[in-house]
Amino acid sequence: MSSTGRIRFLAVCGAGAAFLVAALVFLVAIDRPPFATLAQMVLYAFGDSYSLSESLVKATPILLCALAVILPARLGLITVGGEGQLYFGALTGTAVVVAFPDGPAILLLPAMLVAGAAGGAIWSGAAGLLRTRFNVNETISTLLTNYVAILLVNYVVYGPWKDPASLGWPASITFPPGATVPSLFGSRVHIGLIAGVIAALVLHVAVERTRWGIVLSVLSENRKVGAVVGFSFVRQTLLVMTIGGALAGFAGICETSAIQGRLQSGLSVGYGLTGFLVAWLSGQNFLRAIPIAILTGGLIAAGDALQLYSRIPSASATILQGLLFVAALGASGLATRWKAANG
Amino acid sequence: MAEDALMMAGSWTAAMLRSSTPLMMVTLGETLTQRVGIVNLGIEGQMLSGACVGFAAAAQTGSPVIGLAVGAMAGLLLSLVHVALCLGCSANQIGSGIAVWTLGLGLTSYFGRAAVGGKVSGLAPLANSTSANVPFLGPILTQLTPVVPFALVIVLFSGFWLYRTRTGLNWRVVGESFEASRALGIRPVLVQAQGILVGGLFSGFAGAILSVDYTQTWANEMTKGRGFVAVGLVIVARWNPLLVLPVVLLFGLSEAATLRLQAFGLTLSPYLIACLPYLVCLACVVIVSLRERVLGGMPAELATVFGRRR
Repeated sequence: MSSTGRIRFLAVCGAGAAFLVAALVFLVAIDRPPFATLAQMVLYAFGDSYSLSESLVKATPILLCALAVILPARLGLITVGGEGQLYFGALTGTAVVVAFPDGPAILLLPAMLVAGAAGGAIWSGAAGLLRTRFNVNETISTLLTNYVAILLVNYVVYGPWKDPASLGWPASITFPPGATVPSLFGSRVHIGLIAGVIAALVLHVAVERTRWGIVLSVLSENRKVGAVVGFSFVRQTLLVMTIGGALAGFAGICETSAIQGRLQSGLSVGYGLTGFLVAWLSGQNFLRAIPIAILTGGLIAAGDALQLYSRIPSASATILQGLLFVAALGASGLATRWKAANG
Repeated sequence: MAEDALMMAGSWTAAMLRSSTPLMMVTLGETLTQRVGIVNLGIEGQMLSGACVGFAAAAQTGSPVIGLAVGAMAGLLLSLVHVALCLGCSANQIGSGIAVWTLGLGLTSYFGRAAVGGKVSGLAPLANSTSANVPFLGPILTQLTPVVPFALVIVLFSGFWLYRTRTGLNWRVVGESFEASRALGIRPVLVQAQGILVGGLFSGFAGAILSVDYTQTWANEMTKGRGFVAVGLVIVARWNPLLVLPVVLLFGLSEAATLRLQAFGLTLSPYLIACLPYLVCLACVVIVSLRERVLGGMPAELATVFGRRR
């Protein structure tokens, strides 16, 4: 094993150990049997076929949102906009369904999915445009526009798109069968998961095995050198932002169609933020994001199950995600520093 | 007629000052943190923790002053995570900030459940209702609590301190050049830790003002991205504590004005109106970014975080 590989291995082990200790401390602090609860969580996440399918359901938007962070990160951009792109994609995709609820599935379904992806792409592309045209930091613009997208969804479900048949509940019309994303194996797992895995594979090949990856890495290392050899930071920024946004928007419309069955507020339980976490845990690597997204999907599913069966609020899953993020950042930071100090 | 206009101006000023105070404190905190070359996106989480813990403390003790103090301490405590990650482990600042935000989000929605729907009594206003009819000052004195002048004094003092004292100079040197400050015998890591902790204290205080003094309730995620708006406004205020005051007040005025527009027959969904702070903030950042070169003011060490050096 190379020295870099060994350091990375140690960092992963260190992060895992630190997370485990922090999680145990948290469980003791909330007065729960720590080891038994952790074991229970593993069972709730992956214990049987139903638990596994629920974990995969959660993993789907997380994976897509993680890809939406990783691709811009390859150009050196840090976006935290997954949540907003997901919401805006859900909004634009639903617009198609609201406009043509009786359309034939063969047209309606693809049109809806394309509209969803386009919505996410526009939302994210706007941040890319602000960055390239006005030099507005993309982290700040994506953080701010997240709130706007969520409010826009609230506006349509409380206002113009509110379905009178839903008896006062703020939601759009129920999606007709022709606008329902097909599910797999008779469970709630839907084709969004397959799309996410394929997207990860395609992006991996495109960035690791083609000239495009070189363009991105040169530009992220040094924009001036990139410009000298004819690479355009502006074009690449818009490209990675729109592709990433399209993936998150696609996640939004899939979640709306397959899982919720209608557009409603509270569509996402922080999938964008979790996707950001997954992207960082993977070291901004498309392939590694797949298993990590499934693991964190399991964590969120287990949090839901704990709420249902053990009356531990599902916010515990958010706390555990935060602890996981802290542990991973700390370990990888220390590893980088150690590597710098020891050649 | 003139008296009416004065009264209205007074009540506008009062409303604007009152609603802007939390944002003013959190923007000041982030400004000071960024002056030592550290970006902390975790202020959103710190503000939430200040709001939650401060509210709980005020409800428990019945004292809004204790609530405000405890809330500030809660923000400070959470910012220790950012200190440990950025300075202790050399972790990425943006990542660490998001981690702190996630922690704050999770912890407050977990432990804040008990406080949901509770009610506290805020601070007493500056003057009782007998002086309500004094032109202009009447509405201000009866609607504002001592928190507002206190916050104004903190902002002015911070500006004075940063530009007119020795330690303030040290902070600015660290923000301009980590290496040069070390050569000058300043301990830059220590200064950066102080910068993050002061930001934590002020953001926690801002959260507590929001829950204890302004809304007098606690609700999940009640800060609604004010911390991120603050990060944008820091750029607009060119990292200058003294400019935080006019920037935040103008921002508050634009919000108040849109609410008043409603009274003149413009009916808009509350959800669309709620979008305004984020869009106004973004628009302000765009405008100052266009004049970036002329305005300057960004601490040089931040360039490595914002990636503008290349």
